[in-house]
Formats: sequence, structure tokens, C-alpha cells
Amino acid sequence: MEESVLEELMPYIVIGNLAIVAVVLVAGGRFLVRKHALTSDVPDSRQNVAEFIMNFFVGKARDMGDRDVVLKVAPFLATCFLFILICNLMGMIPIPVLNNPPTSYFSVPLGLALCAVGGTLVLSGVFNGLGGAVKHLFWPNPLQWISEITDVMSLSLRLFGNIGGEHMTLVLVTSSVAVGIPLILHVLGLIPAFVQALVFTLLTASFIANVVHKHEEHAEARAKADARTGVPAGVPEQTPPVVEGDPAVA
Amino acid sequence: MEVVLLALVTTIPIGLGATVAALSMRRISVSAIEGMTRQPEIAPQLFTAMLIGMALIEALCIYCLVVALMLAGNVGAA
Repeated sequence: MEESVLEELMPYIVIGNLAIVAVVLVAGGRFLVRKHALTSDVPDSRQNVAEFIMNFFVGKARDMGDRDVVLKVAPFLATCFLFILICNLMGMIPIPVLNNPPTSYFSVPLGLALCAVGGTLVLSGVFNGLGGAVKHLFWPNPLQWISEITDVMSLSLRLFGNIGGEHMTLVLVTSSVAVGIPLILHVLGLIPAFVQALVFTLLTASFIANVVHKHEEHAEARAKADARTGVPAGVPEQTPPVVEGDPAVA
Repeated sequence: MEVVLLALVTTIPIGLGATVAALSMRRISVSAIEGMTRQPEIAPQLFTAMLIGMALIEALCIYCLVVALMLAGNVGAA
């Protein structure tokens, strides 16, 4: 009886849990980053934690391109990662209704994957222009756009399969053996919770890198053309100083 | 009889899929660990590449799981 009531209420529970995740993230962000206390000198402990978290994503985005790219891409990746991580970790909370991770219901991963691929398309439009973004979908292969659909499918199914499977196993085991063994499963569940969030973010990053890379190639080609026509480039090429008679070389 | 066959049909794909995925993942992790021990300085890059490769293989296994779940729903109905 109680089971069926829970089953009926499940959409509302999922939405409520998503709202809780959002509140946790916003409150945590507000707590870690106090605007007036931010400094480039010696940061306090909160800023240190925030920088530690952001460092990874900024590094990922910095591999793709310049400051412009980093400012647009790094927050996107960090949002993906933190949101999915907190969603996955909801399963560890020992409170009956709260312990349903939202990512174990297919609609949530599907929405997240649509956001990720849609965001990639939007970033493609931002960096390459609308024409470039549309061209990217149909050129060099006219069926290139199918890969966007399969990307959505694979991203969402992977997240759903891992977290949903984990959750299902946990529910089945807990219903038969309530003490002891679920603890082990919880500890093991921490690994996919972290790894799946990371994998989702890394795959999104590689999709974005594909899109941004074209933009960078265009920029480089333009810079080369500028150099040929005699317009001074932004950064002069530097040749490393040659030390003659270096004892280390000899 | 039919129910037994249907039950087998739902369980065999996920078993096969998990086996093959496990073998391929073993291959990936062995190569990655070999690379990391030979060149510890590129270990972080190898680790992320390893995770992406594993995720791509794991997706195939997850497809098996999803198909098995869908079939299992039909077994309950039959």
C-alpha cells in the first residue's frame, strides 16, 4: 500500500529532490564565494576551496582556447559536474524519501543530456557564428546531425543505467537484508556517483572542444593571413636564447 | 516453458554484455597502468583518457541492461 503511494508520488519526489539539489548548490556557492572578500592576494579558506573546485574545470577549458573560451566553458562544465554529483550523492542520505537520487529516473538524465548537447550547439553558435554552427551539423558529412541525437542517447542512458542500476540493487538488497550489506553497497556506490559525474563532464568537454577547435583554427588562419599581409601579430614569436659553450650540453 | 525461455532471453544478454565489457575494460586499465608506470608525468592525462574509454565501453553494457529491463517488463506481463 505504502509502496504504491510512493510510486504515485514519485514525480513530485524527484522534482522536490532536484529543487533541494539546486538549493544546496546555490547556498554552497554563496557560502564559498563572498563577492567582497574575493582577493588575488592570499585567499581565505573558503575562497581556497572554491578555487580548488573550479581549478579542474578552468584547466580543462584552458586546453581548448583563450580567455574568452574559458569564461564561457568553465562555468558550464562545473555546473554539469556539481549538479550531477550532488544528485548522485542523494542516494547516500539515510532518510526515506530523500534517498531517491533524481538521476535514477530516466527523465532527469535525459534532460541533463539535452542541456549538455544543446549547450554545445549554443556554444558552437557563439564561437563559429550561426552559419558555422549549422554548417558543422551538415559538413563534411551530411548526416553529421545524427551524432548529436546519439550523443544525447548515450549520455543519458549511461548516467541512468549506472545510477539507476545502483539504486535498484540497493533497494532490492535492503528489502531482503536490511543491516550490514547495504553499508558496503553504499560505499561502493560512492565510486560510480563520482565517476559518472566526471565522465558526463569530460564527454561534454570533448564535444565542446570539437566545436571550439574549429573556432581556434579559424582564428589561427586569420592570424597567419594577417602576418602575411604585414599587419603586426598580437604576440611576437620568441626564439629561445642559445647559450654557447653550455657545460650541461657538453 | 515460454516463461523460462523469456527469463533466459532477459538474463543472457546482460550477462554476455557484462562479460565482454569487463574483458575490454581490463585491457584498457592494464594499458593505462602500464603507461602510467612508464611515464608517471602524464598520468593525469592518461587517467582522463582511460575514464572516457571506459565510459564508452560501459555504455554498450548499459544498453544491454536497458534492453534486458525492457524485456523483463514484458516477461512480467506474459
